[in-house]
Amino acid sequence: MLRIYRRLWQVTWAEQWQYRANLLMYLLYWLVSPVIYLAVWTTIANSRGSVSGLTANDFVTYYMTLLIVDQLTSDITLHVFAYKILDGTLSGELLRPVHPILTNTLMYNIAFKALTFMVLIPIWLVLYLLFQPDYSMVTFQSVLLSIPAIILGYGISFMLGAALTCLAFWTTRIYSIMEFYFAVTTLFSGQFVPLQLMPPVIQQAARFLPFQYFIYFPIQIILGRLPIETILWNFGYGLVWLVVAYAIFRRVWREGLKRFSAVGA
Amino acid sequence: MASLRLIGVFLKINLQIALAYRADTVVNILINFMWLGWELLGLSIIFSNTDTLGGWGPGELIALLGVFRLVNMIMAAVIWPATEKFNASVRDGSLDYTLLQPVNSLFLVSFSRIVVWRIWDLILAVSLIIIGIQMSGGAPSPFNIVIFLLLVISGALVIYSLWIVLVALTFWFVKFDNNVTILQALMDSGRYPVTVYPPWLRLIVTYLIPIAVATTVPLQGLRGDLSNWQVLVFVGIGLGAFWTATRVWKAGVRQYSGASS
Repeated sequence: MLRIYRRLWQVTWAEQWQYRANLLMYLLYWLVSPVIYLAVWTTIANSRGSVSGLTANDFVTYYMTLLIVDQLTSDITLHVFAYKILDGTLSGELLRPVHPILTNTLMYNIAFKALTFMVLIPIWLVLYLLFQPDYSMVTFQSVLLSIPAIILGYGISFMLGAALTCLAFWTTRIYSIMEFYFAVTTLFSGQFVPLQLMPPVIQQAARFLPFQYFIYFPIQIILGRLPIETILWNFGYGLVWLVVAYAIFRRVWREGLKRFSAVGA
Repeated sequence: MASLRLIGVFLKINLQIALAYRADTVVNILINFMWLGWELLGLSIIFSNTDTLGGWGPGELIALLGVFRLVNMIMAAVIWPATEKFNASVRDGSLDYTLLQPVNSLFLVSFSRIVVWRIWDLILAVSLIIIGIQMSGGAPSPFNIVIFLLLVISGALVIYSLWIVLVALTFWFVKFDNNVTILQALMDSGRYPVTVYPPWLRLIVTYLIPIAVATTVPLQGLRGDLSNWQVLVFVGIGLGAFWTATRVWKAGVRQYSGASS
């Protein structure tokens, strides 16, 4: 099994390497909105001293960390797999004795992350010089703790993304569903504002939904804002979500595959 | 007016295309509504924590959101669909057929594909502008409204000109698929007044990729923040940019040699 993954890694890496320039454009596209919100919130915090206890530096560090965390936990399965179901090219992959999503697409995702991360680092350093965040509260321990949190976050996001992608077996309007899902995650993950600024209803909902594991939870760990009990409790709850998401994906995949008629084959 | 009649024909064709996908149209409008709710929630979160953002109150930001949606609507309804088609047509040589038509090629490339359901977005945008102005309490003088319209047109003209130059680059660099990504990416900055951004970002969205000229500046005109002299400069920039862009376009068309011949 490990050999399969290693070989797929080589293939997907080589494939993505061809699109270096596209990657840069994609990054640019994706960088703009966090930087805008960073600017908006630091302006507000500066004019009033602090917002609900958050200083300007808290916002700068939040969004600067978000740039890294979001890059690591976001999932592109919908973009790279849904069309295969719609146009029937999936049939070729189904002939292989490995699961198309859990092997090929997963590796494609990771290769994409590795490449974009390489491009992100220099851009991030430039932003670091421009915004001058004070990262003194970050400890080695908190960074170490954030690694499993990011892996957990990516696991959940990948499984949910994959389950959603499988809806393409039933409907051709998968990209509308994707847009809706994107809006929901942006709202509940902490992508838009740190969750503690959200209205109480949304905060409550966000606590029970899996989306905070994509962004908010890892960031809070890195910035050392959570007591250890909360962290442990959240890890436990996140693992439950991971299992649930995996179960949902398995179910949708199996049912969907029965309906698959391989258009054009 | 031949070109007006042509636009009428384009609208009719594209309406027929849209009517073939009625369910999609409904879904698109619903999603558009969802984003509006999302944007308003964002504004309400911001203003539950502060009274003014960069010197602007909630009503003014709603009006700004309206102007932003107006510009964004024009891009999404006309410009982005045209871009995709155009890039492909330079690569495979089908631009030949466009150039053979007895109509201005720039006009044909820009307006032959229109996403009709976006007209809905136009209604929303205008309502947002009116509601926003009402909320901010000031009834602008007719003179300021004229200035506002003038600045919206010249701002849109600046962005349209930049788009022309960016797509015209395809004539020289055929595989330049990402020619408009930078414009699309920075579009989002138009949601907020340019005064909240740090100086380097303000410079970029005012001079380099002048999104702010089409969003923040018209509203400043409406608020009466701009002197007549400044308004004239912005209108002049709009006209100048368009003139330059048509020059670049013509040079590009001369450069184009077809793919098959």
